[in-house]
Amino acid sequence: METGEENTRKEETVKLISAEGFEFVIDKKAAMVSQTIRNMLTSPGGFAETQHGQVTFPEISTPILEKICQYFYWSLEYSSGKETEFHIEPEITLELMMAANYLHT
Amino acid sequence: MDGDPELVGGLVGRCIDAATASAESVERWRRQRRTLDRLPSYLADALLRRIIQRRILLYPSWLEIFQNSAEEIDLKGESSVDVEWLAYLGAFRHLRRLNLANCRAVNNSAIWYLSGMNNLKELDLSRCSKITDAGIKHVLAIQNLEKLHVSETGLTSNGVVLLSSLQNLNLLDLGGISITDEALCSLQVLTNLEYLDLWGSKISNRGVPVLEMFPKLSFLNIAWTEVTELPYLPSITCLNMSNCTICSIFYGKGSTSAPLLKLFGLGATFVDADKVFSIIDTSHVTYLDVSSSSICNLHFLVKMDMIEHLDVSFCGITDDSVEYIAKAGKGLKFLNASNSKLTSQGICVLAGNVINLETLYLSNTSVDDVALSYIALMPSLRIVDLSRTKIKGFAYEKSQDNLEKTFPLSLLQNLSHLESLNLEDTLVEDEALLPLVFLKQLRCLYLKSDLLSDVSLHILSSFSSLEYLGFRNAVLSNSGLLLFVPPKALHTLDLRGCWLLMENVFSSFCKLHPQIDLRHELVGTVPIDENVSAGSTSLHKTYLTSVVRSEGYDGCFVDERIKYSMEDLLGLQLSSLSTPALHGLNMLPKELKRSKMSNHISFL
Repeated sequence: METGEENTRKEETVKLISAEGFEFVIDKKAAMVSQTIRNMLTSPGGFAETQHGQVTFPEISTPILEKICQYFYWSLEYSSGKETEFHIEPEITLELMMAANYLHT
Repeated sequence: MDGDPELVGGLVGRCIDAATASAESVERWRRQRRTLDRLPSYLADALLRRIIQRRILLYPSWLEIFQNSAEEIDLKGESSVDVEWLAYLGAFRHLRRLNLANCRAVNNSAIWYLSGMNNLKELDLSRCSKITDAGIKHVLAIQNLEKLHVSETGLTSNGVVLLSSLQNLNLLDLGGISITDEALCSLQVLTNLEYLDLWGSKISNRGVPVLEMFPKLSFLNIAWTEVTELPYLPSITCLNMSNCTICSIFYGKGSTSAPLLKLFGLGATFVDADKVFSIIDTSHVTYLDVSSSSICNLHFLVKMDMIEHLDVSFCGITDDSVEYIAKAGKGLKFLNASNSKLTSQGICVLAGNVINLETLYLSNTSVDDVALSYIALMPSLRIVDLSRTKIKGFAYEKSQDNLEKTFPLSLLQNLSHLESLNLEDTLVEDEALLPLVFLKQLRCLYLKSDLLSDVSLHILSSFSSLEYLGFRNAVLSNSGLLLFVPPKALHTLDLRGCWLLMENVFSSFCKLHPQIDLRHELVGTVPIDENVSAGSTSLHKTYLTSVVRSEGYDGCFVDERIKYSMEDLLGLQLSSLSTPALHGLNMLPKELKRSKMSNHISFL
């Protein structure tokens, strides 16, 4: 996917890395939908994630992390009043549920 | 929806929704069994609970995928739960709580599978009537069991005696089992018991002294027994002696370890109430329910400084008793004096003394408009029930030879916390409702009267926070309903008994306001009368729902009004005849007739 070339926008984006090493660069605002990521990025000093703006999820597979990122953006739209459905395929519900549970989403 | 707030909304909640959308969706994720073992138990529990609630568990074998993760399972009232289900549940290694209450198909051979469940701490077998003394032996093998409900099962004294081997029990519910004094005596080894329910048993004054052997017992229910005298039990904080004849409670006083907090004496016969209450240390009692009991004066309240919840409905109390309520009243939050002999004078005594009163029930008393000015002096009120009283909502005041019409309901606007107001079956007319528009914070309003019309409904449009509106038996016309602009927050509109409305108006209204749940005899889902279902036993509830269900969809409801013009109908309303509407009743089974009949009568 994308790499860290966009240094200018580094402040506003975060990099989420899946178990397989795929990197997802998304808006910080979107990532903050997750309470867990929010804590990691905002807690003073504690996490290395805070400095580098990147979080690795060794437990979350690439397709699930992709779905999670889609949800972050959907959730932002939804809370700003746009009423659409977020479709979840039955096959991935359990994997996604566990990831969402871990991310407090 | 289920009750876990943390699982509603959010991605986790959406995943559970998607996973349990249909039996087919379950089948699709079920193929990847390995994932379930990693699932945190509370998610597994929530998932299984939803599958059961939605009735999409097609085969008991599906339970197997949860066997390593589920910790709590509630199957209450599921009639399909049988031996096969239990065979799978028996393998749930981590299960701590299992609720099988009302599972009618569960029998002795089904609970055989429970015997190896060493982690089980809580088991509810209430009303599994097929379980007998022979079956309870399987439960005895679960030595870690702490809470056991076996009320209204087929158990007898012989089976109950066996339970004494479950040394870890702290809760034992034996309600409805006719155990004897001897059986109770054999339970005295269960010294960890904190909660003991013995309602409807055969224990007597001879057997109750054994209760002193339970040092931790804090909850005791001996309602519907022959017990008339209860010895002093120092650790009791909650006592239920409803429907007993009470001569004395806590005779032979000893040292206090825990003060009595709650006392239930519904329907009890007090031989001498003053004497009974003079023995008990009531200074810490916060909750007293003596509705329908023989109590007719409340002198004993003098010592109850801490009382918060007082139910004296259906007692013969009169205005004379009110001074005791007023004296004890500072902390009072809940007062039910419905169906008593109270009048407005009594309410006058209360005013100013019950500053913390939040809930006041005065239904079916002789209270009239005068009382409204006193009720307005109770600043904390949130719920007021004045149904079936003599409230008219208007009065005439003399001013300079002229009679001036006033509307005392306007006084209620002083009550800034008022959320729920019930004026059903009063004499309130359209114009008297007008002052209510100042009750901006009102969330529920119950009206039921044929004195109300289109005008009132339109007045009610301006209640911005109204969520529930009952507007029953009113002379509401089709156009009146269609012109009604519902308040934004409104989610339920109960129009039962508004007999002028025609079927097609409902669909138009629902199209205009899809967020509102409309209730009427002609709308598909026929509601249960809340007043009837509230507080009744679950058995009774099941019966009610089944009646209602068949009533709603049997197709026998013939709308006779279509034949008539509006003028005819108005004429009909005044005449007492109800024969045309009763047409078609003969086809109905017996038990339906009564409810149907009453429906029709309220309808015309």
